[in-house]
Amino acid sequence: MKADLQRADAQKADHKPALQKADPRGVLTGVHFMDGDHACCEGALAAGSRFAAGYPITPSTEIVERFASRAPTVGGTFIQMEDELAASITLQGAVWGGAKAFTVTSGPGFSLMMEHIGYAAMTETPCVFVDVQRGGPSTGLPTLPAQADMMQARWGSHGDYEIIALCPNSPQECFDLTIKAFNLAEEFRVPVMFMMDEVVGHMTEKVVIPPADQIEVVPRRHTHKPVADYLPYGTNGDLVPEMAHAGDGYKFHVTGLTHDERGYPNMTPQVQNKLVRRLQDKILNAVDRITLVEEEQLDGADVVVVSYGITSRVAQRAIEVARQQGLRVGKLRLITAWPFPEKKIRELATHVKAFVVPELNLGQMVREVERAVAGQAKTFAVSHAGGGVHNPVDILKVIVEAAR
Amino acid sequence: MAKGRVSIVVERCKACGFCVEFCPTHVLALSSAFNSKGYHPPHVVHPEKCSGCDLCGMYCPDFAICATKVTPTGGGDK
Repeated sequence: MKADLQRADAQKADHKPALQKADPRGVLTGVHFMDGDHACCEGALAAGSRFAAGYPITPSTEIVERFASRAPTVGGTFIQMEDELAASITLQGAVWGGAKAFTVTSGPGFSLMMEHIGYAAMTETPCVFVDVQRGGPSTGLPTLPAQADMMQARWGSHGDYEIIALCPNSPQECFDLTIKAFNLAEEFRVPVMFMMDEVVGHMTEKVVIPPADQIEVVPRRHTHKPVADYLPYGTNGDLVPEMAHAGDGYKFHVTGLTHDERGYPNMTPQVQNKLVRRLQDKILNAVDRITLVEEEQLDGADVVVVSYGITSRVAQRAIEVARQQGLRVGKLRLITAWPFPEKKIRELATHVKAFVVPELNLGQMVREVERAVAGQAKTFAVSHAGGGVHNPVDILKVIVEAAR
Repeated sequence: MAKGRVSIVVERCKACGFCVEFCPTHVLALSSAFNSKGYHPPHVVHPEKCSGCDLCGMYCPDFAICATKVTPTGGGDK
């Protein structure tokens, strides 16, 4: 049995939004045998999403294929747009209209959506971008896995901003964490990147969907202030503004230009400083509350394997063989890749010999690990250009080398 | 005295009514006059209420209206 998912630190009780139970209409309660893409779709429906716009692309297509057939039965809408730019901005219009919305894509489409990810960050539009990663660059390997969009998810749009990124490693997590992604998006009014990979998307496993009354969803943070007192980008102490309910008489301008609390463009260094720092701080101040990691035998470990997504399951084999050989190997799985749980890594770095970071790219998250370790321990990458998963033997070799 | 002044290019207007609907101080109304395309452009019914916020200008799909702040000397700040 896997170690329980646990929060890296004790939960802080500040400004937690009120939770609601899921709308039972969207919850396909039962035990299913489905792939990660379909599970992600069911997660979105369970989270209350009733709108998706997309320009479907392998290997993410099955998510919206299922959504297109399921949505009409629950009062939802799917629109196939003319391209990814249109899809990624259409969902934001739906969000401002009151819907919980998402889009799905893979690397090439994710590149095209970058402008609107920045727009969502700037306008604080809560939405979910699902990226089922395939090999790149460019059209690369349409049907084969990679994890090479991790840095793009964090840095792909211009300017300073923070997003949240989650990495499921099973169809069950594709369901569970999609709900989590929508909840985080609503709580922090931030675009959430749901970083699947081709293998997780297309692998079929048991998925348990609980009854609706056991699924907690975060409702939209609608303001209760009268129209005259409402500031679209004013905050109540927790750095996250409340949204207006469309059609209730709140009239303001949603703009990607630097804006003041009233939403009016105000392009001065003072307003820029206040706004952009708040966009960062609302995430970074809550990093302990956001962070989800899976830990296993970290106490007394000499080597810690840091992995995420499908690679975490391949690495499990290498970890177990290494333990059979007498090595003390701990496992740290990143469920939230962004914001990066650097505090956790930094604490571990004081008493382990080395970190081993296998990933399906030529070195992305390993650099974050290196940065957090800051020379206190060795860091080893186990890179893979994509198109398949690691051979566990390759990871094992590096673990053995790192333990020396 | 009004803090702002509205300028309208009546020939660009297609009478969508966004400016009338979204003006926070209800300065505007659609007029009964026609432009050459046959639309009713807005006109200013409460000039004294204009704050010069230019929300009308930001909403207008056709760049047919804008508001400017009025300085104490009476001129716009453009």
